[in-house]
Amino acid sequence: MLIQILNGIVYGGLLYLLAVGLVLIFGLREVVNFAHGALFMIGAYIGFSIAAMGYWWSGLLVSVFAMALVGCALDAAVFSTLRKHDHIVTVLVTFGILLILETVVTKVWGKAYLTYPVPPLLAGTVSIGGSPFPIYRLFVIAVSVAVAVSLSLWLRYTRTGLYIRAASTDARVTSMQGINVDRLSLIVVGLGTALAGLSGVVAGPLLSLSPTMGNYILIDSFIVVVIGGLGSFAGAFIAALLIGQIHNFGAVYLPWAATVLPFMLMVGILIWRPTGFAGSRT
Amino acid sequence: MSLLAFNDVHALYGRARILNGVTFDVDAGERVALVGRNGVGKTTVVNTLCGVTRIGQGHVEIRGRTIKDLRGYTAAQNGIAIVMQGRGILPNLTVEENLLLGTATGRKGPWSLEKVQDLFPILRERRANPGLALSGGQQQMLAIGRALMANPDLLILDEPSEGLAPVVVDELAALLVRLGEDGIGILLIEQNISLIHRVAQRFYVLSKGAVAESGSLQNVTRDELERHIAI
Ligand SMILES: Nc1ncnc2c1ncn2[C@@H]1O[C@H](COP(=O)(O)OP(=O)(O)O)[C@@H](O)[C@H]1O
Ligand SMILES: [Mg+2]
Repeated sequence: MLIQILNGIVYGGLLYLLAVGLVLIFGLREVVNFAHGALFMIGAYIGFSIAAMGYWWSGLLVSVFAMALVGCALDAAVFSTLRKHDHIVTVLVTFGILLILETVVTKVWGKAYLTYPVPPLLAGTVSIGGSPFPIYRLFVIAVSVAVAVSLSLWLRYTRTGLYIRAASTDARVTSMQGINVDRLSLIVVGLGTALAGLSGVVAGPLLSLSPTMGNYILIDSFIVVVIGGLGSFAGAFIAALLIGQIHNFGAVYLPWAATVLPFMLMVGILIWRPTGFAGSRT
Repeated sequence: MSLLAFNDVHALYGRARILNGVTFDVDAGERVALVGRNGVGKTTVVNTLCGVTRIGQGHVEIRGRTIKDLRGYTAAQNGIAIVMQGRGILPNLTVEENLLLGTATGRKGPWSLEKVQDLFPILRERRANPGLALSGGQQQMLAIGRALMANPDLLILDEPSEGLAPVVVDELAALLVRLGEDGIGILLIEQNISLIHRVAQRFYVLSKGAVAESGSLQNVTRDELERHIAI
């Protein structure tokens, strides 16, 4: 039972890392980023390539850094240039990027499932309530919690954090205070994609690598964002934990319904509160 | 040299041309009114300054310098603070956070959080409340307070009297005159004749996207002003 809950938290943590990136990007650019799952997947492959040479931790750092650069490029080249167009244009473009990235990965690494190693430092298990539990999974929980805590402190207590919260609510009013929202977006989109990369690397040893590995988890992340309330960081955190639990308990006790449970929860919550748990936007 | 000048500005939203040759200027420490009925393009003047519209002809000058690439942040970074129509309060930030946004440009001057809270004690009292929780009049104080936090040389207010009780409008008039006397230029965009008359020294009447009339308010009665606006 306890093990089940912990496994749910692990999956919830991964969802949180993806969902918070989606929230950040949506907040500043009002873009629903369909390429986010592909960035998660690329992050995993980059980390894998370096980890396969025996440098697990360097793989993590390089992947996060590379994905941050990809995010900045994405913002400058796509989100910023398309901001005057209808949102649907940008959404379609992110969908195109997703397809391109999947093709690139298939060409470079092939379609076959690859196994991401666990770093030696985190190999093995600990006993929790008498059952063995992989240390690596505890590490995944720790990473998500660390990101959640530092992100919320950063947003709450720094100037940049204040500007990001302001711009997520109203970019126009924020820029009229003298804040260059385009520059802010560059940071925020870069951060969001870096977190997708982090999530990809950290998830690597838990899932097997394939060019489509990001698709399923991206759908769950979208559900998290919707349930949490578009634009809400705290809402995303709670929703990620909830979906993580439902995903895991569903897989164990209601396997036939596991994939639709998150959807059903989403629909239920939207009927109860159309803006999600903490949402102020519709 | 004027702080802000529009020279024969024609401006468009997409294909819709809304301003057809707007010319006006505001000097340092001057109190100028831009008046006109609903829909004549007053807010479009502000939007043009913020780069929301496309300028088809003419140009905007800030401190004598023509600015080609107007952006949302251009005015603020040049010492022009704007109190938007509808106030532009960020509803989910606290009152104090809303005020702190005003300091984003880091301009130095007499105004600080302390001073603004002295001017509007309610903003100190309710500093931890979300902006959303304020009444209309309090939101207007917050919007003006935030603009003052930027220590502007020019303060633009777009229909600040909208939705305010008459006594609050009286206080607003006195405040704007005082700020003007302290050396802040005021561009008051309004329809409220009484507020215009009490605050402004000069006026421009906007009609169908162009300046139809302008002059000093010294020798214009309220009735005459009302007739100018009605055309
Ligand atoms: N974003 C927009 N796109 C197209 N037309 C607009 C837009 N905003 C305002 N308008 C039009 O421009 C005209 C002037 O509007 P506005 O400047 O808001 O008037 P005012 O502030 O004087 O009441 C109106 O006819 C309005 O319908
Ligand atoms: Mg208006």
